[in-house]
Amino acid sequence: MNESQARAAVRRLLSFGRCDAMEAGVDAWSNGVTRLADNLITQNVVTESVSVWVECAYGRRHGLASTSDFSEEALRSVVRRAEAVARVSPPDPEYMPPVIPREAGKYLVVRDYSPRTAALGPMEKARELAAAIRMARARKLRLSGAYQNGWSLGAFGNSVGLATCHRSSSAEIHLTALGGDGSGWAQDKSFDCADINVGRVATEAAGIAERSRGAGDLPAGKYTVILSPAALAELLSFLIYDFDAKTADEGRSSLRGKLGKKVFGDNITIRTDPAFRECPGNPFSDGGLASRPVDWVRHGTVANFRYSRYWAKKKRKKPTSYPSNVIMEGGNETADGMVASMERGLLVTRFWYIRHVDPMVPSVTGMTRDGLFLVENGKVTRPVRQMRFNENLLDLFNRITALGRPVRTGEYMSMYLPPVKVRDFNFTSTTRF
Amino acid sequence: MINLCREAVEAARRKGASYADARVVFQRTQYIGAEDRHITGVSDTETSGIGVRVIAGGAWGFAASSSLKRADVARAAARAVEVARASALARAPQGIRWAKEDRHEDAFHTPHIKDPFKVPIDEKVGLLLRANGEAMRVRGVKKCHSWLYFHRERRYLANSEGTAVTSDAVVSTGQLSATAVDRATAKTRSIEAYPMCTGYEHIDATPFVAEARRVGEEAVAKLKGKTCPTGRKDLILHPSHLALTMHESIGHATELDRVLGMEESMAGSSFATIDKLGKLKYGSKLMNIVCDNTMPFGLATRGYDDDGVKGQRWHVIRDGILVDYQSSREVCHAIGAKRSRGSCRADSWGSIPIIRQSNIGLEPGREPLSLDELIADTKDGIYIEGMGSYSIDQKRLNFQFGGDCFWEIRNGRKGAILKDVVYQAMTPEFYGSMDAICDARFWMPFGVGNCGKGDPMQVARMTHGSAPARFRKIRVGPGVK
Repeated sequence: MNESQARAAVRRLLSFGRCDAMEAGVDAWSNGVTRLADNLITQNVVTESVSVWVECAYGRRHGLASTSDFSEEALRSVVRRAEAVARVSPPDPEYMPPVIPREAGKYLVVRDYSPRTAALGPMEKARELAAAIRMARARKLRLSGAYQNGWSLGAFGNSVGLATCHRSSSAEIHLTALGGDGSGWAQDKSFDCADINVGRVATEAAGIAERSRGAGDLPAGKYTVILSPAALAELLSFLIYDFDAKTADEGRSSLRGKLGKKVFGDNITIRTDPAFRECPGNPFSDGGLASRPVDWVRHGTVANFRYSRYWAKKKRKKPTSYPSNVIMEGGNETADGMVASMERGLLVTRFWYIRHVDPMVPSVTGMTRDGLFLVENGKVTRPVRQMRFNENLLDLFNRITALGRPVRTGEYMSMYLPPVKVRDFNFTSTTRF
Repeated sequence: MINLCREAVEAARRKGASYADARVVFQRTQYIGAEDRHITGVSDTETSGIGVRVIAGGAWGFAASSSLKRADVARAAARAVEVARASALARAPQGIRWAKEDRHEDAFHTPHIKDPFKVPIDEKVGLLLRANGEAMRVRGVKKCHSWLYFHRERRYLANSEGTAVTSDAVVSTGQLSATAVDRATAKTRSIEAYPMCTGYEHIDATPFVAEARRVGEEAVAKLKGKTCPTGRKDLILHPSHLALTMHESIGHATELDRVLGMEESMAGSSFATIDKLGKLKYGSKLMNIVCDNTMPFGLATRGYDDDGVKGQRWHVIRDGILVDYQSSREVCHAIGAKRSRGSCRADSWGSIPIIRQSNIGLEPGREPLSLDELIADTKDGIYIEGMGSYSIDQKRLNFQFGGDCFWEIRNGRKGAILKDVVYQAMTPEFYGSMDAICDARFWMPFGVGNCGKGDPMQVARMTHGSAPARFRKIRVGPGVK
């Protein structure tokens, strides 16, 4: 499906509406994932999907329906279903009418589509992975992981004349290397597969796996840690949604009452910029409103909250989108340089299975994974067994004593984050590997 | 639609597949959400498509399309073979070992009385608003959320061995949560109609309105409750809580693909490796864990899995010893089994089938024992209901769990509500400390509706049943402030 077809489908959907107000969208995507385990390709999938959605409203009564059936009959039917749902729904006091074009703002130019990434086929990916597997076998390691690529196209329109469309591509690889009792992990992601070097990622994972063999005991307790950007991304993803204004204003967020206040260390600046080349975000959201760059934290001060259209109107603020990417300012030091300046502490490859313990603190727990190393007098001296941590995130972002050079990272959200050094990181137990 | 599946299978065979299966899946969901005294949204969504899985050149390929036009279906079948040819660049020397299964032609339907999609929306809206209204009447409750969710999946599966099966499964679930807020913090308490494969009668049977005030009052009590002491306590875990603990520490740990390292880079592996089969002391002798994909109303009960294997019932842990795994046709040979246990499922037409947890649960105690008697027999403990915070390492050993509500037990009496309770343990030690399970009168099934696994991530549902059980001297604390 191309952009003009998607836009035409949106117009077609809107033409079927008999309701007072209407929004409609088309989402088309293709996703290919080649998956490894134990030096073999064990799963390999290509999925293509086209779906449409419509939200119809009568006054403040609204309802949503969607379908992946793209036939003319189904397109008419999905509008009728949304209208039927809207008619029987009670009025929603928080319903906001469709965005008029001048209210939407000017869309940023977000360049995150690469034709070669969209077209990358399973054979090309398999060849690159086969070379990585040969490297792993030569080092007596076993490689697992996945190499994903795809494209997506989102078209949006409403009954008051707003229409927009955006096409993007994505590529991501993560590999785990195992050897003996050691394990290592590395990742890269970009909208352009030309940015991704499968061999480099495999070699990095292999090196960590080799260095983490023979992990020994270390008692749980408070340690200075160097967190990789991937580890920091896991923590930050549990904080970023606390910047919602309504939740905070109603007293249900860890950031309640903290807008404009100094909450984090001076060295913490976190922002969103949809047009940022290293990890582009979405040019529109929330009813077709243009996404704007937003500073969430400026030198430790909570600079902005996310306002939905309803809450922005109620509080007389400008609406702000949820962050579609997260960028944290860093420094120039590499993770290796940070190790060299560390007297004693732990180097963390990544985290696993983080969950809130109390979202109001917010406190979280989780495990280290795929390489935890003791650093003494500026050198990595030995691998240690994985540990569980319990941490207070607001407090943690006041204990960051050094920031390194940012890189692309993030599991579900695009992020550009530095490695960081954190003092008194709280490990509460160990495991057996 | 089964003929369309057969056409896809034939198309793949003509392109060179030595095995092929095709699934056409139609999914419909309805969601109604309420916040405080208003409805936030009603949605009615549908998705449909076909997934074609093949073995060609000794390797796997899978392609899926949301289009069910015959030309697009043929294209997906051909694409699956192309994908398999790419996979063959790094295939196992012996190719795919595919366990035998009888040819089946059958149809399965979820038993239900009231089709949830035929119940008028205004009836559902009325229920949620009445329940929210009751909870909001409690002084201190500042926010209330509730929702109902219904899911129907019609599946048509055919393979190149002649199997042709269909299933029609309906899931009903809902939740009400009340949040109490004071100057310092906020606490939430919930009541759920845990997901079950059944109709709207499940919602009718859940006392959302009648229990709403209690839920609100317990949210306020959590706010004012005593902070969990740090130390070791006996835990009595209600089935609504134990469901998730078992899910994480037993269900995932006994998935054979994880055990063999096939999920190493994402969901992780397992400490319960195949060299320990028949030997690993997983827990105390009271511990009997049964998988049952024939269980009425079970979320994993669909007649046949996506490998075309008929639903079964079997022990994975008997008298505390690991005796079996949850398996698929691809991997069951690794433990010497000639037949799969039938645990291979995909979450949609667009996903490849992978091993997912069965309906898996703890058998009740054999001696008569009620929950009241179990509490009366406990001097210094904590009673936990509902699901809360949960985290476990990638081999399923070191875990930390919270819950939804916690009560102190002192000298055989259930006392005041505690707050901020979490417990940490290692899986074998935890189940080794289990010294009492209530009898079959107290056995209850609870569903997990959002189990993530796979890459790309798939979300599956399964049921976990148990009776209340006691675990001795478990490390507890308030987490970190």
